[in-house]
Amino acid sequence: MSLLANIDGVRETTDIDHSAQGFHHLHVITLDALVPVTQTFFDNGFYLEMMTCQDRREADGIFRLVYQFCTMSTPQRHLVHLDIDPTTSAPSIAHIFPASDWLEREVFDMYGVGFDNHPDLKRILMPEAYPDGAHPLLKDFVDPESKGEADGQSV
Amino acid sequence: MASRFDVVQDAESRDTYYLNMGPQHPSTHGVLRLKLHLDGETILSVDPVIGYGHRAHEKMAENRDYLQFLPNPSRVDYISGMIYNIGYCQAIERAMGIEVPERAEYIRVIANELNRISSHLLWLGTFLLDLGAFTPFLYAFDDREKILDILDRVTGSRLTYCYGRFGGVTLDVDDLFLQQTAEFCTHFKTRFALYEELVIDNVIFQERTVGVGVFEPDLIQKYGVSGPCLRAMGQANDVRKDEPYGIYDRFDFDIPTQMAGDCFVRSLVRMDEMRQSVRIVEQAVKDIPDGPFIAPKVPKRIRPAEGEYHFCVESARGNFGIYIVSDGSDIPFRLKMRTPSFANMATMPDVMKGTLLSDAVAILGSIDIVVPEIDR
Repeated sequence: MSLLANIDGVRETTDIDHSAQGFHHLHVITLDALVPVTQTFFDNGFYLEMMTCQDRREADGIFRLVYQFCTMSTPQRHLVHLDIDPTTSAPSIAHIFPASDWLEREVFDMYGVGFDNHPDLKRILMPEAYPDGAHPLLKDFVDPESKGEADGQSV
Repeated sequence: MASRFDVVQDAESRDTYYLNMGPQHPSTHGVLRLKLHLDGETILSVDPVIGYGHRAHEKMAENRDYLQFLPNPSRVDYISGMIYNIGYCQAIERAMGIEVPERAEYIRVIANELNRISSHLLWLGTFLLDLGAFTPFLYAFDDREKILDILDRVTGSRLTYCYGRFGGVTLDVDDLFLQQTAEFCTHFKTRFALYEELVIDNVIFQERTVGVGVFEPDLIQKYGVSGPCLRAMGQANDVRKDEPYGIYDRFDFDIPTQMAGDCFVRSLVRMDEMRQSVRIVEQAVKDIPDGPFIAPKVPKRIRPAEGEYHFCVESARGNFGIYIVSDGSDIPFRLKMRTPSFANMATMPDVMKGTLLSDAVAILGSIDIVVPEIDR
């Protein structure tokens, strides 16, 4: 019986070999399902272990948000994939897991992904005065300070 | 129980002010800035400003192959760098299915636990320094220096170790290393009584820490608190027991826990953890087998199969996770490090609310933050 079986928008749930990859389950969800899915994990005693993003614009034209929920003892680690269009923003889950306040800020800082209803969405690791639109973990990022240099390296 | 320092609800009717603690404040252990909103000496709210030590490790990972990234993890948390360095190796080994020889596993455990002790000793010294006690610092660093010398001789570095290799370790350890380690354990066990007398039983230390900076139990789930901070809240969770990696399941050791969740019991937990680490080191030194220290056949090209991998280890500060997305090439598509101090630091606005300014120093010291680890 899957934890998320009754939620609309959970498109796909697969089991992963924990001894090889460190996860137990992978869920692929849609934008609408994020808040109910997060609430379900919260209600079942999971904590938000990690959250990040993958820049898959080149291959698939999407950003993939990655949420990792885990239980405290006898770990059950669930990986949640949420693919979003680069022009849209995702709902914030900071009202459920305050941990995601900083994690969402980091994703915003590094990828430029917006989060609706986030309490205070601003840069976290890069300086506040860093140029708008410069998001270092984007695959096509060019350091604003070295723009125009010949080597073409992004770092 | 009503606190002596209840937050003034009608703060707007009083004169309140903002104070910057840091980024160069000595008790922030690096470059961290706390924007404090104060009413007198009572903290109304805290806004930690991080990122001063950001070195873009995750971006670097996307621009070099897996082996070239090997020196980076120990720079993320330079106080327990060995654990990070070896943890990264273990993550790659599991993704690639590389078998590690027995002797290498034992060497790793000894190195990891020595590093954990040295990290906790540095915490002890600097925490007490924050509280105004200078003498314990000298004792703690005396002991820590012994560990650094032992590790320096075999690894070639004192802080930012790059001792692990995919499939083993760089260099074998010799009998002198094992002898020095055993001697250190014998010596260090005699020091606990001294630390208890000098620090734990000290009435000034207790006044500064008992009941200060209490983590409420709901913070565990909300923020994913881990490490000694978690175990000081009565939760016996340790990655070494919950998700054993390497050969940790072979050793006999306990997870020290305390209930109160304040600065004082966080100190007790760390003291007990050093005792447990000594236990593990002694068992490992006794049982270490002969044999190769690195796997004979390690693939020259490290190319994990396409997919996502997560590996976590127990660092001196808590659950350190490495999340790797491989696209089947030589270079990681994405490498994210889940650092324990980041999660522990995020609780600060909740924990510090309503405490005194001088307690903020004690709380910061007691969660044992390493700022470069937050900033990566």
